[in-house]
Amino acid sequence: LLLRAVRPLLAGAGLGTAPSTAPSTALSTAPPPEKKRWLRAYLELQRLQAPPQRRSEQPNWDYHAEIQAFSHRLQENFALDLLKTAFINPCYIESEEARRRQLGLDKDAVALQLQDNTGLAERGLRFARAYLAQCFEGAYPELPAKGIEALVNFLTGQELVSYVAENLSVQDLALCRDFPAPPDVLQRTFLAVVGALLESSGPERTGIFVRDFFIPQLIGKDLFEIWEVVNPMGLLLEELTKRNISAPEPRITRQLGVSTVLPVYFVGLYCDKKILAEGPGETLLAAEEEAARVALRKLYGYTENRRPWDYSKPKQGLAAEKAISSN
Amino acid sequence: RYVRQLQRLQLLFSPTAADARGAREFVEEAAQDFARQHPDVVLYVSPRSGPGPAPVLRAEYLNGTVRDELIASKTSEEILQLATKLANQSGLDIIRIRKPFHTDNPSIQGQWHPLTNKPSILTVQGPRLQPQ
Repeated sequence: LLLRAVRPLLAGAGLGTAPSTAPSTALSTAPPPEKKRWLRAYLELQRLQAPPQRRSEQPNWDYHAEIQAFSHRLQENFALDLLKTAFINPCYIESEEARRRQLGLDKDAVALQLQDNTGLAERGLRFARAYLAQCFEGAYPELPAKGIEALVNFLTGQELVSYVAENLSVQDLALCRDFPAPPDVLQRTFLAVVGALLESSGPERTGIFVRDFFIPQLIGKDLFEIWEVVNPMGLLLEELTKRNISAPEPRITRQLGVSTVLPVYFVGLYCDKKILAEGPGETLLAAEEEAARVALRKLYGYTENRRPWDYSKPKQGLAAEKAISSN
Repeated sequence: RYVRQLQRLQLLFSPTAADARGAREFVEEAAQDFARQHPDVVLYVSPRSGPGPAPVLRAEYLNGTVRDELIASKTSEEILQLATKLANQSGLDIIRIRKPFHTDNPSIQGQWHPLTNKPSILTVQGPRLQPQ
């Protein structure tokens, strides 16, 4: 409403001067009358209450230009037709064919010449999982297979991938039946984009892409937030037997407020009288469990003060990547 | 990697109004160069005829923020500067910064809590061992 106020002043002046200067063509060249003042509030209310529409249905939308800008934004060279197939979801094709059938077109016109993104999505998912598993095996060699699987599942899970896709404008470009696009559609579309990149640029560039967009999502996350471990003490015992260290002996190191509502117990785990880890808790059992978790974090090398992830250019492991991408 | 947060710029102006002269000059001279230098921003130029609202530069960001900037009675260079400023911004709301400092590691050696520097109850305090 603020913007509209500027123009009525000029329009009023124009209307006032136009009939005097050009009397013969006053009717055709006079600017059309402004919307009535009492109507503007109602139209503004209608505009604000209108249901949200897809960006592709709003004015100023050029799909080809948006796709090109998308590839430049990610600093990647995509084969554009592969990228366009990556954004086409099967629900869109079904809805389009249903709509054409409803409009009464014959069978040849109904069948769309479009390909799905399911194949690309599968390839992208497989590559992303393999690459991330390989990354984690290299970075945390002590972490067991279940832990790596939990991390990879978290990173390729629906929530995270749809969050990343939302913030990269995939939801504007993806063609799907519902609006706003549901998270599994966004996940599929983003993995299809990864698959398209794999086909156009090869496994190395795709690996760098996956590393740049997925691994920063682990910043600030703790291992046991991602990996649900029911019995950390049992897991710790297994790890210690693998390394031939004797079973840990839990002892209370410090305690505060024992007779109050909120006691704090620090339980330390000692192996051969040497401290392994110490953890706090409200009750003795909780503190022991926490101490076991701290010990596991130390053993797997996933503490908070570990070296940050290495994002420099990969020099070795290229042969291994090619081997992975071929399965 | 760096991902430019500006998605698209829409230049809405009137082809005849007097205050949209800077916008028209920008479109004639600098818009193409700007578009070439920023290939990841989609620039839409939409002239709307008749007396409409004032000329506006609408910026849409990846997180969904839409920012309108009035370009009425601005010269072409000013509009170019404004466009580059919008291209380098992120779509976060422009609010007052509460503190001009921030740190991710507020404590290097660990924050003090009542149990730091308190020896554990397991420490045995006995007579000093004689050197053998």
